[in-house]
Amino acid sequence: MTVAIELSNVVKTYGDFRAVDDVSFAVEEGTICGFLGPNGAGKTTSIRMILDILRPTSGSISVLGHNVASEVRDRIGYLPEEKGLYKKMTATGVIAYFATLKGVPGREATAKARELLDRYGLSAFKEHKCEALSKGMGQKVQVLASIAHDPDLVILDEPFSGLDPVNQEVMEEVIQDLKSRGKTVLFSTHVMSHAERICESIVVIAAGKMAFHGSVAEARALLPSRVRVRGENIEELVSGLPGVNAVKPSTDGRADVLELHIDEETDPRSLLKLFFDSGKTLDTFEVVQPDLHEIFVHLVGEEAREAADR
Amino acid sequence: MSRIFRVAMREYLENVKTKGFWIGILLFPVMIWVMMEVPQFLEEKGIPTRHVVIVSKDAEAGKLARQRLTLLNRQKILFSLQQHIAEATEPMRQEMLEEQEIDAAELLDRLEVGLEQMNQGSAEINPFNPKQLIDIGDLVPEEYLLNDGQWLAMRNLMLSQLPKDTAEFVEPDARFMEVSLLPGLTDQATDEEIEEALRPYLRAEKLYPANGRNVDLFALVLIPENVLIEKKPIRFWSSNLADTDLLDAITGALTDKVRQMEYDDRGISPSDVAEISQLSVRSNNFNPNKQVGEEKVGIRDKIRQYAPIGFVYLLWIAIFTVAQMLLNNTIEEKSNRIIEVLLSSVTTNELLLGKVFGVAAVGVTMQLAWIGSLIGIMRLKAGPGAEWVFDLMAAVVSPELLIGFVFYFITGYLFYAFLFAGIGSICNTIKEAQNFMGPMMLILMVPLGTMMFIPNDPNGTIATVMSWVPPWTPFIMMNRMAANPPMTEIVATAIMLVISVLVVFWLSAKIFRIGVLRTGQPPKLMELLGWLKSSRP
Repeated sequence: MTVAIELSNVVKTYGDFRAVDDVSFAVEEGTICGFLGPNGAGKTTSIRMILDILRPTSGSISVLGHNVASEVRDRIGYLPEEKGLYKKMTATGVIAYFATLKGVPGREATAKARELLDRYGLSAFKEHKCEALSKGMGQKVQVLASIAHDPDLVILDEPFSGLDPVNQEVMEEVIQDLKSRGKTVLFSTHVMSHAERICESIVVIAAGKMAFHGSVAEARALLPSRVRVRGENIEELVSGLPGVNAVKPSTDGRADVLELHIDEETDPRSLLKLFFDSGKTLDTFEVVQPDLHEIFVHLVGEEAREAADR
Repeated sequence: MSRIFRVAMREYLENVKTKGFWIGILLFPVMIWVMMEVPQFLEEKGIPTRHVVIVSKDAEAGKLARQRLTLLNRQKILFSLQQHIAEATEPMRQEMLEEQEIDAAELLDRLEVGLEQMNQGSAEINPFNPKQLIDIGDLVPEEYLLNDGQWLAMRNLMLSQLPKDTAEFVEPDARFMEVSLLPGLTDQATDEEIEEALRPYLRAEKLYPANGRNVDLFALVLIPENVLIEKKPIRFWSSNLADTDLLDAITGALTDKVRQMEYDDRGISPSDVAEISQLSVRSNNFNPNKQVGEEKVGIRDKIRQYAPIGFVYLLWIAIFTVAQMLLNNTIEEKSNRIIEVLLSSVTTNELLLGKVFGVAAVGVTMQLAWIGSLIGIMRLKAGPGAEWVFDLMAAVVSPELLIGFVFYFITGYLFYAFLFAGIGSICNTIKEAQNFMGPMMLILMVPLGTMMFIPNDPNGTIATVMSWVPPWTPFIMMNRMAANPPMTEIVATAIMLVISVLVVFWLSAKIFRIGVLRTGQPPKLMELLGWLKSSRP
């Protein structure tokens, strides 16, 4: 597998402030990578450096096999975090314009723009001026503008923000489509559920530093497996069970539910059997898969709060 | 290269689609038209009849003043009569190909004969050709106009010469109309009494009753006794200080009389005086810069001397309109964050150049449309037969002036365009941009202010020094072009100008590069200097 994006020890400073501090990761070609981190973690700065809009203070970046993204910028599509379009241009015009800037011939670009608008449910708005589009529609148009030139690498900064649930699904579809055609996608978000559904790998940064890089499964492994139980007089029982490392009140806030942190090797089903054998009444027993949200809070919670306090 | 073109293309098409562009294109010919038509319109209809009360304690002076007003009124009628004739005989005059020399004396003789025939009720009158008919208007002596009978006869004579199907001649409103004193007041009342009684009318608090109508009283003129002997001032009351036509007419009439009396006293014949006052020394002007044998300066050369002012104006307007577009577009892209997408596709230099060239194309389109409509209007006004417009333009647009104009237009435009794009890049809103626009406008006002007096001393110290200040070089040098400034100076300032444009481009590109990605407050000056030192963001 070749690597589409590789960052090695990238640092970006503004005066004394280290916006990005020694970040290294790689994204394999043809995969979807989620770029996660709290607000102000340095995601956008990193993305701008990948795109060669900003230059790193130190460290190196390679994109599609080149050291400078501007050499291959026609093969990259980019959706910035803050979305905006030329108000007076039509949806077709904007998409076609951005495609021509990427080297697509004018007529082809217009045809491609119309085709994309048809495919993603904006047929009726092809000749509407952008100022007449709703926020969500405008954002869709911008996403289409970033992929109209059929790029090999697509970088999306917060593609889901501002979209309603239906359009969030459309967005996921767009990303999946890209992947199925062998494209590489890097997208940043702080909504974990999207990343969880579509990403092969995730990169988490906090306060400019790397917090995690790996597959979703690896990320899950960062948190212990847990079982939530509720029953009468079981406190004594649970603390003595084999494989249970700790007993805590449930993190989901329900009263009298206990959360058992168990060894990785321990099969929850064996615990359930032990409960049955003990004869205690049990009205809740659920195995909790750590979701990315929890992992995220676990990884960056402290930094994010600190950042908010600053 | 193709990216610069794409950016320029979009910039051009989007700006050309705006309402502002079309308003700008259409407004110019409309304004020219208005500027040409309005003075004439005002002359004809705009200034209302001035109603005046004349109280003269001196019979002769009163008569002279009134005669002068009558004369002016009839001259105005005569002028519009001439226009009426000109319109009515337009097709006939077109057919008269031969330009005829006008013999004033002969024409007047014929007029006299014609008037004689009119007076005798003769049906056949020696016909005048239309050109003569119009020319008579310029030659008629004052006595004819002041004599009621002759005036009427002449008017009828002229109208009788027109084709039968001519529209009826409508006399224009009189310029001045004397109205009588208020009932209860006589000429014998004291000045104070009259002034007191008329004050509310002069202040426009009341309308003045005259001949059964109520009118605005424009002025009260009090002529003292023995004014022609003692030369005491007349008292002129009016709340309108700007229009001095009436006052000039009356004082003029009395001054003429006073002078005439003085000539008589001293035994100088009035005809001698008239003859003497015709004498003057004229000049032939020569320009040492021109070829031997062609040094004589004609009206064309004068026009040529001042033609660069027109070019300076064009450049100034171009910079002014284009600056606004550049600022607006850059700020739109910045505030919409489109700039980030653009920068992932093109370099900042490509973006900057594309914008500047695209907007330049808009400016050039606008100016070509203006020049086109100007020529169109001039042709229309001058009539299809008049080639003089093109003669004039050929005189103005000599090769060296044109080359100069193109060079200074391009460099001057680029100099300011890069500056404005740089400014746009550090501002987030138009309001922020206004703060920077103030000083820029001050700099731009200077060449506009000096524009009119530079041609008077085109190679003087001020002009020479200002030629070396890059923001002003294009304007001042263009201003001086017709006066053939030293070639060394032209070349040196041109080189300096090209270097300055490159420097401004380099500075703007640096600022643009960092500025377009920056949000929040515009940077402080020290910060800007820091940006110039840094190699890349």
